[in-house]
Amino acid sequence: MNIQLLRGIFAFAILLLVQAMVLNHIHLFNCATPLLYVYMVLLFPRNYPRWAELLLCFIMGFFVDVFSDTPGVSMASMTFLGLLQPTVLKMFMQRDSADDLAPSIHSMGSYKFGYYAIIMVLIYCASFFTLETFNFFNWLQWLECVAGSTVLSAILILAIENFRSK
Amino acid sequence: MRNLLDFLAKYNHWFIFILLEVISFVLLFQFNSYQGSVWFSSANAVTGKVYETESEIGSYFKLSKVNEELTQRNLYLEQRLKELHQQIGDSISDSIMENSRILKSLQPFRLIPAKVITNSVDKHDNLMTINKGEADGVKKDMGVVSGNGIVGIVYLTSAHYSVVIPVLNSQSNISCIIQGRGYFGYLHWTGGDASQAYIDDVPRHAHFKLYDYVVTSGYSSVFPAGILVGRIRHVYNSADQMSYRLKIKLSTDFGKLRDVCVLDNHVMAERLQVLRAAQDSIKTIEEK
Repeated sequence: MNIQLLRGIFAFAILLLVQAMVLNHIHLFNCATPLLYVYMVLLFPRNYPRWAELLLCFIMGFFVDVFSDTPGVSMASMTFLGLLQPTVLKMFMQRDSADDLAPSIHSMGSYKFGYYAIIMVLIYCASFFTLETFNFFNWLQWLECVAGSTVLSAILILAIENFRSK
Repeated sequence: MRNLLDFLAKYNHWFIFILLEVISFVLLFQFNSYQGSVWFSSANAVTGKVYETESEIGSYFKLSKVNEELTQRNLYLEQRLKELHQQIGDSISDSIMENSRILKSLQPFRLIPAKVITNSVDKHDNLMTINKGEADGVKKDMGVVSGNGIVGIVYLTSAHYSVVIPVLNSQSNISCIIQGRGYFGYLHWTGGDASQAYIDDVPRHAHFKLYDYVVTSGYSSVFPAGILVGRIRHVYNSADQMSYRLKIKLSTDFGKLRDVCVLDNHVMAERLQVLRAAQDSIKTIEEK
């Protein structure tokens, strides 16, 4: 249990630092920024206490916000994603799967995990960029940002997941 | 009562969700009105330290490029200085007088060198953090310049770090004039390309040419007159057809900004205050 907790904290810190130091500086074609920290939300196992999940998402969002000077934006969208995660996960799972199944390519199959990851990242990017621009002053750029970031983040997450499951 | 407790226990995650979202939105709206707390931005001590270390490492890799740019700038300035000296020598025979006048105009500003530790150019409202704060004499509303031109204005300070509103922010509004022609306007940025900005409210009767230089006007005490802003690239009519709108190419490259200077203007501000007090007292005497 303690080792698992330690691993969790370690992974949390690594995701946060990688996002703040490296990925926040990437703006492919002026619109696509990989948002890797969404990966954390994907990994919550089935029947994880929902209050804890919400709180952890909130904390992650808070730290990302502090590092990138966008207070509230990723906090609000991470909490929202934390609320939706169990529902989205249920859509891609057999009824008879284990009670504490941890989502991964290994446990769900690459197809299902891929769809699951893409849908989650899309929800996150849509809410994140909606809050950031807020008044849709430039809806074309908003669309580009959402699409670009979704593709880039999803590719990154799936690549890492693929590497991990081997 | 029991039913109520059961209800709360069963749906506790909804209440937590609503609570957390309310906290986020309060932060979102408070900070966006530019009265936010230093603690929630990259000016707080922990994030500041992390970013400072990162940018120190990063700056090593860009040193050669920076050097090259500085040399170029130096050459340009040297040539310009020579030119100007010649002009002055032609028009005024007493060159010592002239030298002392230039020195005097720069004296009221103390320069505080600082390093940029975080910076963004891709958002609609970009912010920048520098590694000097109140302990080094930086205060709110001081001007920030780089070797190549204007950068922005300080808006939040903590003990050792401060947040700057650069030109690349929709809130930024700096008074400029077209060099050598005297017509003035306001510098705005509307998002998009980080190398271009607009000068609004230039009068319709103004005479200027493409590629003229735009510099700060010196009408406020934030920037002295004559700091380079950019060059005119294109001329548009304003939306109401009453003035020109100039598209300019900014001389500062915000994408790779490292070294900047904060202009400490407190002496200048004091002088302005004294001047104003004097004017007021003269007025009251006249009224009597």
